[in-house]
Amino acid sequence: MHNGRMAVVRLLVNGSVRPADVHPGTTLLEFLHDYLELTGAKAGCEEGACGACTVHVDGKAVKSCMVTAAAQQGKTITTIEGLAQGERLHAVQKAFLSAEAFQCGYCTPGMIMEAAALLNEGDVVGAAGVKARMGGHVCRCGMYDEIVAAVLLAAGELRRG
Amino acid sequence: MAEKLTRREALGSLGASVALFAGAPVRIAAAADGTVTAYTGKVELGQGSRTELAMAVAEEMRIPLAKVRLVMGDTELCPDDGGTYGSLTTPQTLPVMRKAAAEKRGGALTPPGEWKVLGTSAADVRGPEIVTGRQVFPGDARLDGMLHARVVRPRLYGAKLISVAEAEGARLVRDGGLAAFVSSDPVAPKRAAAAARAEWAPVPFPADPSGISALAAYFKANSTPPVENMNTRYPPLIRRGDARTALAAAALKHASSYWLPYIAHTPMEPRAAVAEWKDGGVTIRTGTQTPFPVRQEVARALGMDESKVRIIALTPGGAFGGKQRGEVEIEAARISRAAGAPVRVQWSREEEFTCAYHRPAGLMEVESAVDDKGKLTAWVHRNYNSGAAGLQIAYAIPNISCEFHRSPSPVRQGSYRSLAAAANTFARECHVDEWAARLQADPLEFRTRNCGDERLRMVLERLGKGPGGMACTLEKDARIALRAEIEVRGREVRLKRFTFVGDYGAVINPLNLRKQIRGALVMGIGGALLERVEFDQGNQKTRKLSAYRVPRFGDVPEMRLELIDRREAEPAGAGEAAIALVAPAVANAIFAVTGKRLRRLPLSLAEL
Repeated sequence: MHNGRMAVVRLLVNGSVRPADVHPGTTLLEFLHDYLELTGAKAGCEEGACGACTVHVDGKAVKSCMVTAAAQQGKTITTIEGLAQGERLHAVQKAFLSAEAFQCGYCTPGMIMEAAALLNEGDVVGAAGVKARMGGHVCRCGMYDEIVAAVLLAAGELRRG
Repeated sequence: MAEKLTRREALGSLGASVALFAGAPVRIAAAADGTVTAYTGKVELGQGSRTELAMAVAEEMRIPLAKVRLVMGDTELCPDDGGTYGSLTTPQTLPVMRKAAAEKRGGALTPPGEWKVLGTSAADVRGPEIVTGRQVFPGDARLDGMLHARVVRPRLYGAKLISVAEAEGARLVRDGGLAAFVSSDPVAPKRAAAAARAEWAPVPFPADPSGISALAAYFKANSTPPVENMNTRYPPLIRRGDARTALAAAALKHASSYWLPYIAHTPMEPRAAVAEWKDGGVTIRTGTQTPFPVRQEVARALGMDESKVRIIALTPGGAFGGKQRGEVEIEAARISRAAGAPVRVQWSREEEFTCAYHRPAGLMEVESAVDDKGKLTAWVHRNYNSGAAGLQIAYAIPNISCEFHRSPSPVRQGSYRSLAAAANTFARECHVDEWAARLQADPLEFRTRNCGDERLRMVLERLGKGPGGMACTLEKDARIALRAEIEVRGREVRLKRFTFVGDYGAVINPLNLRKQIRGALVMGIGGALLERVEFDQGNQKTRKLSAYRVPRFGDVPEMRLELIDRREAEPAGAGEAAIALVAPAVANAIFAVTGKRLRRLPLSLAEL
């Protein structure tokens, strides 16, 4: 059944080194959600078509269902659980709250992680820029306008410092 | 409190509270510290029921919203308030909660004119958990000693299991025709099930679901005409006057038929359930919309007494009418019993597409007549297979016969957001538009002229005349109208603007109402322009998200919403109604721009 042997993979996640004994094909999503039980990253499609599993790898937004855990060794992983500074929410989290940019909430962590990475890279160019960059994400509840508003709100907050 | 608990502790604490409340379900319990716990069988699906029902308790008990805790959808603790569907939480459960809270306070029900909490915009009480990733979805639930399970599935739609081979890496568990791989390793069962060597007996479709004409003929040939019964939520036959005689005698007549395909709910979260057996009873944590009916289904499927089954509903990642039957719950209970351990059954996206029921396909035939003043005089509307919801008609027509002809379906089908209202409104509002065009009347003016509902007439006035296409309806007690403006480039239809006017009676939470309307309109774009489950050579072809186009960021037009708040009127539910307007408004806009009538969903100029 297994095409390879189980092996310990150690990843730096949210500031701690976290080991788990996994099959070599284990995705980063499975590693985070199923082994570490950091369940903020969600399985939606497991083929990179919905964005619900998005986390940061070395500060960049990555669909964690599309990469193996083993290939992330030596890199810095941040999940939604590690985005806030203690009780102080990240600007994007605050903006999603004030814009009520969710209904069921399943896509929200992935949306927030994508937006946080996007804003980290610099200013976004208006609503069209946000839509283009977030285009790989699905919100089946249809809160797209609210999400765009939240990202623009957070962009404004970050610009003001 | 919840944020300090791990998922296991949070789930465990629910179990511990059973002993406290065993016996008749309590509706409202006040604690010494000023907090109030209210219990309801309704569940939160993202539609805002937790916040809304907590608002009702806060209002009537005169306490801040933050002091209210709601326990929802736990069959052991909560009164049975019916399933969470049909936009019923607002019209049915909200009054129950208000009354119970007012009684608990020992006062009279607060008149709507004096509301302090209800009628104001309240942020979703789950917000902080959602934005931090702490909300526990069914797929996140874990119990100590739990095994993970994946069911072995056929490649061929609906095939029955004959045999399956053991595999390395996970343990094979069988219970009759159900086989699953289980393991304490969370990923091993997924690999084992994907690579399983199994023999299957095909169960061919009784009709080819890939061909519209063959399927429509199958529905018609196998359908049963409706029997009048007005004492049901969705009467299958609505009659007035004598529609067929009036039609036969009329001079100006029009007949047209409409089609809609099977579509998939595609909730973001593929369903999951965790079952745990103890002392001959089973507790199942799951994302169901219907904890009480699912308790009954599980009890029946496992041949046990209902009192031995407890369903604890967790908010799922979307449902939209697709999580109303015991499927993954029954599987989890059976596999857990066979494995002798708590078991979590997780479906994949492919299982969501191929094992869950679909929104029914349907054929709608409409025949009607108008008099020389342009007033509708006769209306016959036949819906084959898709359903009776939305058959009621807001136009003042003296002779009507609106009929749902039930038919077997070759593909598993079931509820979907707004049920058949999307189908019936599509047919009705396109047909009305065809009349307006034929009589060279303005579409809004033609509707207003024939409108039989004063509140809907006011909604139409607010919408006003304009470019594009429109649709209106009286659905789930809401009066709503939508104008769609589009651009056509070659054969591609781009949505430019939606203008929506709605009268939902008394508005309970304006913020959430707007979210529900926008969400329903966005979902409606899928049914109107994008979605169709494909079949090919006796099998379902649609198996993954990348092959099934749902609305995305770029599909959403500018949206303008206007609400008419009627404090004096009963509040209407809002999760569904607006979805029904999108397809007819867009189809009518396509006609306005191109002169082409599209009568099949999803609307496509390329397929013309």
